[in-house]
Amino acid sequence: MPKCTINGKEIEVKEGTSIIQAMTENGQRIAHYCWHPGLSVAGVCRLCMVEIEGNPRVQIACNTMVTEGMKINNTSEKVKEAVKWGLDFHLINHPLDCPICDQAGECGLQDQYMEYGIYDSEMAERKVKKHKVVSLGDRIVLDSERCILCSRCVRFTDEVTGTKELGIFNRGDRSEIGTFEDRPLNNKYSINTVDICPVGALTSKDFRFKQRVWYLKDGDTICTGCSTGCNTKVYFNREGIFRIKPRFNKEVNGYWMCDEGRDLYKVFNRENRQIKALKKLGHSFEEMLPGAAAKDIFKNLSTSLQGASLVVTGQLSNEDLQKAFSFFTGALNSKQIYHWKNNPESWSDFDGLLLRGDKNPNTKGVEKCFEEFQIQTRFEDLEAALEQSQISTLVVMVPENIFAYPDLSAKLKHFGKAKNLILLSSSLVSLEDVRGGAHCWVVPMKTTIEKSGSFINHNGLTQFFKKVTTLVSEALTVDQALTLMGGGEVTVEMPHSSSETRFLVDYNHRSDQVKAEAYKKNEFSFKRGTL
Amino acid sequence: MSVVQKTGPSSKWYLPGIVVGLGITIRHLFQNLMNPKKMPTINYPEEKYEYGPRFKGNHVLTVKKDGSLRCTACMLCATNCPAQCITIVASEHNDPTVEKFPINYEIDMLRCVFCGFCEEACPVDAIRMGPEWQTPGLNGSQFNYDIERLAYRSNLKGGVLSIVDDDERHKSGI
Ligand code: SF4
Ligand code: SF4
Ligand code: SF4
Ligand code: SF4
Ligand code: FES
Repeated sequence: MPKCTINGKEIEVKEGTSIIQAMTENGQRIAHYCWHPGLSVAGVCRLCMVEIEGNPRVQIACNTMVTEGMKINNTSEKVKEAVKWGLDFHLINHPLDCPICDQAGECGLQDQYMEYGIYDSEMAERKVKKHKVVSLGDRIVLDSERCILCSRCVRFTDEVTGTKELGIFNRGDRSEIGTFEDRPLNNKYSINTVDICPVGALTSKDFRFKQRVWYLKDGDTICTGCSTGCNTKVYFNREGIFRIKPRFNKEVNGYWMCDEGRDLYKVFNRENRQIKALKKLGHSFEEMLPGAAAKDIFKNLSTSLQGASLVVTGQLSNEDLQKAFSFFTGALNSKQIYHWKNNPESWSDFDGLLLRGDKNPNTKGVEKCFEEFQIQTRFEDLEAALEQSQISTLVVMVPENIFAYPDLSAKLKHFGKAKNLILLSSSLVSLEDVRGGAHCWVVPMKTTIEKSGSFINHNGLTQFFKKVTTLVSEALTVDQALTLMGGGEVTVEMPHSSSETRFLVDYNHRSDQVKAEAYKKNEFSFKRGTL
Repeated sequence: MSVVQKTGPSSKWYLPGIVVGLGITIRHLFQNLMNPKKMPTINYPEEKYEYGPRFKGNHVLTVKKDGSLRCTACMLCATNCPAQCITIVASEHNDPTVEKFPINYEIDMLRCVFCGFCEEACPVDAIRMGPEWQTPGLNGSQFNYDIERLAYRSNLKGGVLSIVDDDERHKSGI
């Protein structure tokens, strides 16, 4: 365990740690482009300069191992000068693209320039022109002029995916990243190259120009795409979610995630969500508010809800499953709970990196619940019973990731053979699918990013996630929906029920305050434009 | 909010104030009648006041030589706008040398405070504040100016050409 001193702070590191690792692990800042903790060392950007006592010249930190008694510093004038000129060389042929560059706002060049920039360019020569807007594959666009040739993307395809699509072509200042003939960058992890590209050279076709990154907030969550349960970050603003990026977790996904998981933001956004509740009695459809629909179910079915059947999938969190199982076995006195598996034959598939065949985040959790409540049922039995019209009331927790359930609409039509069908669905249910059958209610539900909970991944690891944002505020959680369906009331705890916040509440209810009702009457602001 | 009402004897001393105020009004009336040229009031709308050339009025989106919008949809103006009244939807252009352009650009004029920060933020001289300010509308939606109105309204006669142009930029090697 060698000891070293970095910027005057003494630290002890593991044998074989590079200086840059030692620094980043100890919260020291160091400029770098080509080094990435998940990739091999290239040492090409020459930005991670440090001064080591006893060495006359500055050295790169990413390819120098810490040795006993090393005295390192990266705050001296000498280092700053070296970084400054290194950065200037990176920018010689860099276009003035920031206004139309998707990376602006989270760009390595911009960040370092704020610290080490030479604000007056000393270049008299013309910039070298390279290819712009090159489509590398189905998901990636390359802009060679912006590339600083850090080779992170090349190393990623070499080392992580092993697909080796990318390479550096030509020499000197004409070097460019590119793909080989007939071998586009189409692997299942390709968008990771966009994440690790420190500049805006690689951009994702899906996210391109949708939003400027400074308009987005991020929140941590867990991917619901498969049973691996990658840790992710969602980027959102009030218009919805725009992209998903991986979050480092050594045990689960490392630094990466697959492209399929990144597409899942679409299932959370309003355009693919069930917003209004639907009620169908006989052949007439009626739109309702979600809470009203759940109450309506209780009003219409209160007794026939007893002994109802429930269909669950591995898309639900442990907390929701617990609630549903205890509600059905307790209040409804029913053990007819069925596990809908989308493609059990390919559940054990694994591509060697992250992607698994089981496209549900919580299959383990469902199995655990079935064990815990001692329920042994087969989904085939339910289907057979539906065929013979033996099911009177069926509650279906429609999976939220509809991409993983290609036979969804066929299955919904089949479920429609029950006398009363209740769909608790976050995703948009098409009217076509529920046209059959006698009575049907569709209640909009919240999705994973709108509630807190936990998933158990393929490995048996329980991962918790917190609510990130609310996209459909009127949708119900499983807890709320089942409480209302069971005839209960959903109450919101008011702050003045606790004595500590009492004085705050009093202040908010000053006698001379304009009452909320009075605000509502003034509808001028809602009608502007039609006055 | 409670209104404080003075009821003491001092509250009765308002009459002298009224008399003095009326005196000033009558003095101005006679001054203006004697010498109408010095009257500060103008007979709008027959007479119009000339503002300085730097007056910040309604926005103009400038155009390139071929008549297409100069704006690159970088959203810096929308970011800089303190009233948050600029809405831009960007898209990919078919021409790879243009790359990004706005398919929708709207300014809510009723929210705009005419501060000119958008003009200042724009890196490519795509938005300017013109001299117009007399632009009434019949309802709120008419104050939501779109590209058609901002760049090609009839009194601009095909649009204001931006001096900075791509050819010149490319010639100087940027
Ligand atoms: S890569 Fe960075 S510096 Fe270069 S144009 Fe994009 S945002 Fe600007
Ligand atoms: S495209 Fe990005 S990641 Fe790849 S070499 Fe260039 S700058 Fe580095
Ligand atoms: S003038 Fe000011 S308030 Fe109006 S659009 Fe421009 S930045 Fe916004
Ligand atoms: S700052 Fe200029 S170029 Fe950028 S979006 Fe606004 S008007 Fe367009
Ligand atoms: S990070 Fe060390 S040379 Fe690039």
